Amino acid sequence: MSGGAGTTAAPILEVRGLGKSYGSVIALDDISTSVGAGEVLCVLGDNGAGKSTLLKVLAGVHPHSTGELLLDGRAIRFTGPRQALDAGIATVYQDLAVVPLMPVWRNFFLGAELTAGVGPFARLRAREMRAITHEQLHRMGIDLRDVDQPIGTLSGGERQSVAIARAIYFGARVVILDEPTSALGVKQAGVVLRYVAHARDTGLGVVFVTHNPHHAYPVGDRFLVLNRGASLGEYDRTGISVDELTRLMAGGAELESLARELERD
Amino acid sequence: MTAVAPAAARPGTDERMAGRHPFARLLRRPEMGALIAALAVFGYFSLTTASFLTPAGAATWLYSASLFGIMAVAVAMLMIGGEFDLSAGAMTGTTGLLVGAFTTQWGMNLWFAMLLALLIALAVGAANGLLVVKTGIPSFIVTLATFFILQGLNLAGTKLVTGQVAIQNMILVPDFEVGKAIFGSTIPVLGLDLKVSILWWIGITALASWLLLGTRYGNWIFAIGGALQSAVQTGVPVRRTRIGLFMGTAAAGWLVGMLSLFDVATVQATTGIGQEFIYIICAVVGGSLLTGGYGSAIGAALGALIYGMILQGIVFAQWDNNWLKAFLGGMLLLAVLVNLSVRRQAGVRA
Amino acid sequence: MSRIPARWAVAGTVAALTLISLTACTGQPVTGGTTGANTGTAAGADTGRTYALVVHAVPGDAFWDVVKSGAESAGALYGSTVTYQGDPDVQKQSQLIETAIAADVDGIIVSMANPDGLRGALADAAAADVPVITINSGAEDSAAVGAITHVGQGEYLAGQGAGGQLAEASATKVICVIHEAGNAGLEDRCAGAADTLDGGLSNVQVDIANIADAQNTIKSALLADPEIDGILTLNSAVGVAAAQAAAEAGSDAQIGTFDVSADVTTLINDGSILFAVDQQPYLQGYLPVTFLELFHTNGNVVGGSQPVYSGPGFVTKENADQVATYAGNGTR
Repeated sequence: MSGGAGTTAAPILEVRGLGKSYGSVIALDDISTSVGAGEVLCVLGDNGAGKSTLLKVLAGVHPHSTGELLLDGRAIRFTGPRQALDAGIATVYQDLAVVPLMPVWRNFFLGAELTAGVGPFARLRAREMRAITHEQLHRMGIDLRDVDQPIGTLSGGERQSVAIARAIYFGARVVILDEPTSALGVKQAGVVLRYVAHARDTGLGVVFVTHNPHHAYPVGDRFLVLNRGASLGEYDRTGISVDELTRLMAGGAELESLARELERD
Repeated sequence: MTAVAPAAARPGTDERMAGRHPFARLLRRPEMGALIAALAVFGYFSLTTASFLTPAGAATWLYSASLFGIMAVAVAMLMIGGEFDLSAGAMTGTTGLLVGAFTTQWGMNLWFAMLLALLIALAVGAANGLLVVKTGIPSFIVTLATFFILQGLNLAGTKLVTGQVAIQNMILVPDFEVGKAIFGSTIPVLGLDLKVSILWWIGITALASWLLLGTRYGNWIFAIGGALQSAVQTGVPVRRTRIGLFMGTAAAGWLVGMLSLFDVATVQATTGIGQEFIYIICAVVGGSLLTGGYGSAIGAALGALIYGMILQGIVFAQWDNNWLKAFLGGMLLLAVLVNLSVRRQAGVRA
Repeated sequence: MSRIPARWAVAGTVAALTLISLTACTGQPVTGGTTGANTGTAAGADTGRTYALVVHAVPGDAFWDVVKSGAESAGALYGSTVTYQGDPDVQKQSQLIETAIAADVDGIIVSMANPDGLRGALADAAAADVPVITINSGAEDSAAVGAITHVGQGEYLAGQGAGGQLAEASATKVICVIHEAGNAGLEDRCAGAADTLDGGLSNVQVDIANIADAQNTIKSALLADPEIDGILTLNSAVGVAAAQAAAEAGSDAQIGTFDVSADVTTLINDGSILFAVDQQPYLQGYLPVTFLELFHTNGNVVGGSQPVYSGPGFVTKENADQVATYAGNGTR
């Protein structure tokens, strides 16, 4: 749908030779990549490849150990998730960072509530927040009759889209999605992928972290493949097919031998 | 999170939306179970005893409820935030004893003594909170330790300073009458001679409700108790809020300590021991989840009201109150079951 | 002045005891070792004993604190050490007694709220030749468990006395306020009072840990039955609360309480409280230590297998001021 692939403007977020170690354990080593507006960067890798570590560094949860993290071309070192959020980098975690027992609208504005008045007793602008929540979800194609229902009563795809809608509404320039489709059925995953494309079309930079190349390929512009904390290379969508991507992720030769093994009977 | 069967995201066709009319919405409030139970208890004692509904009778169970209620509301807020405070009961004794010892033994100015006691209480609350937040040790353990420490300090300190185990001659302290007017007086309201603590109780409940539902702090408290990780990820100032909650129960302990001190003009070193569980019971009866993330201040106040009504109702009914605790245990179980079914009816997963 | 030599004597005895136990441990025949020990104890042959006071109350109870003061005063007088332990759970109280036996004390003073529960531990004390004096409650079973004396006031007897005082003030319908659920001694007091009041008495239960609410509950009881014309409380703080409850309920019930405190004395003086039953708890600590000293130094057994009564004394308007002075010192 989008012809945005490859025609990158200046990247919003960029890493150069980035590394992260926890004590003596090196979780990430020499990673370089970037994401710009209207671009989907897919970070692929098997379990333990270092996807989560990269995500945490980009989201400001953990500071990086070596290399550079650049925001709009300037080196930066996040001191916490709040700072990353303020810089327009929003993360949608696998657990979606929602509180199941709380109403949808309270979840939508959690941590960034609209208030009226000053001081510690500033009043919540509840009516306004309900209306905004309803409208934003409607835009994503979810029509909730009651934004007061606990978010735990929504379906997995709906919750995912609430989380994405929340990130977009709060002025995110880059949205990091952590395995957004892994817990979903085929149909729901398709719904979420549509939201990802929709977000990209509105000019957002998307970092799509997943272990499923079949979900990544239809929406991704570029693919960064990780293995054991190191990069196996970054590929343009034009330069790689989904099968090649799959093979690369699983460690190429290993998968081929597995395929032969399985073919025998 | 489990995989969810594909379901249409269109409203009309969604079977989960069925039955979401205003009544179900009302039932979804956490305090509904407690409200129904309170009405039942009220009705029962009103009909079966002569004095329960008289102005003087109502004043006694309201007073009883108020002392438990103030603490229950603070404890409920803490529980919604996912924590316990077992030192809350002993704190009511500590603050009263501090003020009593400061004034009767060392001749300190009453108001300064009260301020100092409040600051000490807040410091203990902050220490509880800091320990929980910094070390990750469950608050159940941290505050259990604080409870024992306070219990020991109350006793040893009182004995050391006064030579006895209770504060005496409090009534002779200058300005005691003024303090009594604020914390221990009786005010005629609509023919009821209400203890002023009842007004404090209503005020604290209203304030807590406002905080929980009408400000962002409330949002944060629910989020921290409901899903701590999510609260961290969305940038909620988690540490500050949790420590604040512990300071809140400590401050409530101070208030109840003062209300009690100025009412009876004495404090025993054993004051408040064992009361902490009553506060938790009231909060749970009022619909708060032990696991956090769900509950209400009004519910906790209603829980305390139920407790107060039963406590005094049994006296009015002139029953053998050796059975009191058994009744209370039964009530607690009943309340929890009612809450559970109400919540299931309303479709809240908990 | 007089304390310093006593402390030295204690130190000497401890050293001597250590020597003895050392020789005992190594199984040496008692020749060279005991010479030194004898010279050690000679300086204070009749002092430096250790007595264990084991009661059935939580630490911090106003009454038991005065008992403790009495025992410690007597101990200081004789240069002996008194240890104080308490637990309302009879099983834990038994363990405390066993601990005292193991520590090889020279006497155990025990309040026997539940004689059956303590029988085993006290039998062990007898087997270890540790003299036992029972105090406060358990007079009836004192001899049976092998105690040499009982010091106390019969709870039932004290209740009868209090009931008599209320009856004299023409009270006919009295509530007896129990502040500790399941305490047999408190129940006995109420039963004794019921006896002299011809049964015109009912029990009300409150929680000592919440005096403000106890006051409220007494008020409820007065409102529930306006004919109540007497209140008997079993603890001084509850007595103060009862006086206030009566004032709030507009009741002119006569109030009697067990135990004296400064506030109770004030209320007796201004007429809000009629009388206080003084168990003279100081004596329940002081006398047993004295009796144990006499037992060790002179072989005396006091009481002739009858209880030695420490009370009841009654504090009324007439003698309140005098008692107040002592109460302020924490000795009454």
